[in-house]
Amino acid sequence: MAPGKRPRADIDQRARRIRDPIKRLRFLRRVMRPRPAPVPEAAARQYQFYVGDCDTDDRPAPVPEAAARQIPLSLLMGGLFLVFAGMVSVAGRVPAPLPARVPAPLPAPTARPVAAPPQEAPRLWLVEKTAGGELYSNGLRVETQRATSTRPRLYRALPRSSAQDRDRRWRTLPAGIVFHASESELASFEPERNGLLKRQVLGLLEYAQRHGLYHYVVDRFGRVHRIVEESDVADHAGHSLWADTGWIYLNLNASFLGVAFEAQTEAAAAHSALSPAQAHAGKILLEILRGKYAIAPENCVTHAQVSVNPQNFRIGFHADWARHFPFRPLGLPDNYRRPPPSVALFGFGYEPAFFDSADLELQASLLGADEQVRQEAAGRSMPPARWRQILHRRYREASFQTIRERAALTEAPAPQE
Amino acid sequence: MSDTEREPCLGLDIGTSRIVLARRAQGKFDFQAQLNAFVSIPFSKLTHKVLKKEGVPHKVRGPEILIYGNESDRFAELFHVETRRPMLHGVLNPGEPDNLELLRQIVAGLLGSDGKGGGKLCYSLPAARLVSGEEVKYHDAALRHVLAEFGFELRSIDEGLAVVLGELEASNYTGIGISCGGGMCNVCLAYLSVPVLSFSLPKAGDYVDATTATATGEGATRVRLIKERSFVLNGRAPDKVHRALTVYYEDMIRSLIGAMREAFSEARRLPRLDRPVPVVLSGGSVLPEGFRERFEGVLKESSFPVAISEVVLSPDPLHSTARGALMAALTDM
Repeated sequence: MAPGKRPRADIDQRARRIRDPIKRLRFLRRVMRPRPAPVPEAAARQYQFYVGDCDTDDRPAPVPEAAARQIPLSLLMGGLFLVFAGMVSVAGRVPAPLPARVPAPLPAPTARPVAAPPQEAPRLWLVEKTAGGELYSNGLRVETQRATSTRPRLYRALPRSSAQDRDRRWRTLPAGIVFHASESELASFEPERNGLLKRQVLGLLEYAQRHGLYHYVVDRFGRVHRIVEESDVADHAGHSLWADTGWIYLNLNASFLGVAFEAQTEAAAAHSALSPAQAHAGKILLEILRGKYAIAPENCVTHAQVSVNPQNFRIGFHADWARHFPFRPLGLPDNYRRPPPSVALFGFGYEPAFFDSADLELQASLLGADEQVRQEAAGRSMPPARWRQILHRRYREASFQTIRERAALTEAPAPQE
Repeated sequence: MSDTEREPCLGLDIGTSRIVLARRAQGKFDFQAQLNAFVSIPFSKLTHKVLKKEGVPHKVRGPEILIYGNESDRFAELFHVETRRPMLHGVLNPGEPDNLELLRQIVAGLLGSDGKGGGKLCYSLPAARLVSGEEVKYHDAALRHVLAEFGFELRSIDEGLAVVLGELEASNYTGIGISCGGGMCNVCLAYLSVPVLSFSLPKAGDYVDATTATATGEGATRVRLIKERSFVLNGRAPDKVHRALTVYYEDMIRSLIGAMREAFSEARRLPRLDRPVPVVLSGGSVLPEGFRERFEGVLKESSFPVAISEVVLSPDPLHSTARGALMAALTDM
């Protein structure tokens, strides 16, 4: 097959499924827009991704013995899982013995982790704090009765450019927000169902609190409930990744806040998944969070955009808000237009069912990211599958680096903000 | 309501002979058109008063009154004068010093209350000519200057591509769009909405009118009116005007297909098309009955380098470009 022929045929076929001519044309123009020519190999190494030295071998780097001893069990299991994933992804290849080379010891983390200073938000402030809640100047009322602590947020992002490596520091402030849908059972939103509606919220809040799932839950009445303290890690994103212009964030539980809307997005009639009260509450909550932590708009994304499965290198392991997330009403750009870094930087793929269920803009972004990977492969005169394997290996390297650094941190003095 | 419908989006076809504005309201396309022409008549207070009373668009310029837009035809016949054009061969007419002001007036009349600022507007531009394309740059800059005064977010679109976007939905916006207007013919091959090759040829309706007028001794405006009212391109001509029109139409079609064959043959990077592509014909000069058949016949005679599936006439040839410009505004801005 001629290079590039199959993808274009795919685009043609996918576009034909879109019945609205304007949506179809918008899709095509997004997917087919000219992309920058692949950069030369040397430059590409510097610009696209940087996690230190990269072997040409597909085998994951070994975990240093000293560090491995310090790795908590859960992280170690995750690492073993990734090793396994790496082995099975190279079909038919017998895993070779691990190389003898041991990576250089990681530098000790700086004593004082630094995060980006928050932007000034002169018109937004905490007006009142009581035992039950907080009131902010934009009208946001946060219910805090259920707020719990887990463990303090601490993470290091990966630089996209080697030039940034010296700026790499431990951070304690969130870099972004992941939007979730509770996908919980929802009664019809009518006054006659008040009792059931309230019970459903209660059930959701108790479940979220018990498992430390999100930082915030926004219920259908527009109430904002803090579940996990903002300074702590919530278990909301699982295997996930995102990137902005400067940094790559792996496994976003630590680096991103989790905001869940009581909503179903996988139902057929998800177009108006948020109630007006919920949308308003979400908007003013975002104002506060983005102002407080200087969160860039491009780092406010949905769970479906960030969720990955390292076992099969597919994205969309969790698919909440794969479509219909109201970015614009919440005061954000349509981030479905951002090519998922998992696909563009690490060569992840996706299942057809996920693609078909995704927002039109997200579909276009996925195809665009695919095309970028193919062009990069063509620029290196290698088959796209081979280039994807290299990108997968980079992902595994990055994951291990994260694990190693976390492990090494346990030996160092606790960082101070 | 979709995003696109929340913000006013407009498509504007700025052609040599007509300016067409496209809007979309409640899911339907709506078009308004004005002739891109004017006549000059001597100034008198009485005439000025009558024109104002009748609501005829006009502008007083020293010792003359310029009547522009659709009314220019009627006054040209009434006063036995030739209409004049702010544009020539697809770009601003350097021989008319008031060209930009007249364009501004015509566009303002079309925009109405939409011209008070805000929204997005995509306007058509001719493609570069096969020989030289420098004049399009000035034309674009001047138009942008005029349109910017209305407060829109502006984008331009190649006229041939606009035809593709306006007409070739069925082929996923893949095919050859041709706009045969007054001043020029614009051609664009697009693949999945992406323009691959486009060019213009300054031989179109005005050329047919002018050469027919010269050959027959009739005025160009009268020739145009005869052409629009009764001309059929079928080889049978009842009088000398129709005979001349047939000859020069044939010349225009052959020149156009010759230029297409040349341009497509010399193109270095045509996409590998896995199926024949359609050709869609639009613009005022394709209106005579028999045009599509004649074009198709000449195309089949030529050894055209791209496989063609069919030659179709736009169902609404006068609005294709504006419709495509609006599609671009709705989807691309």
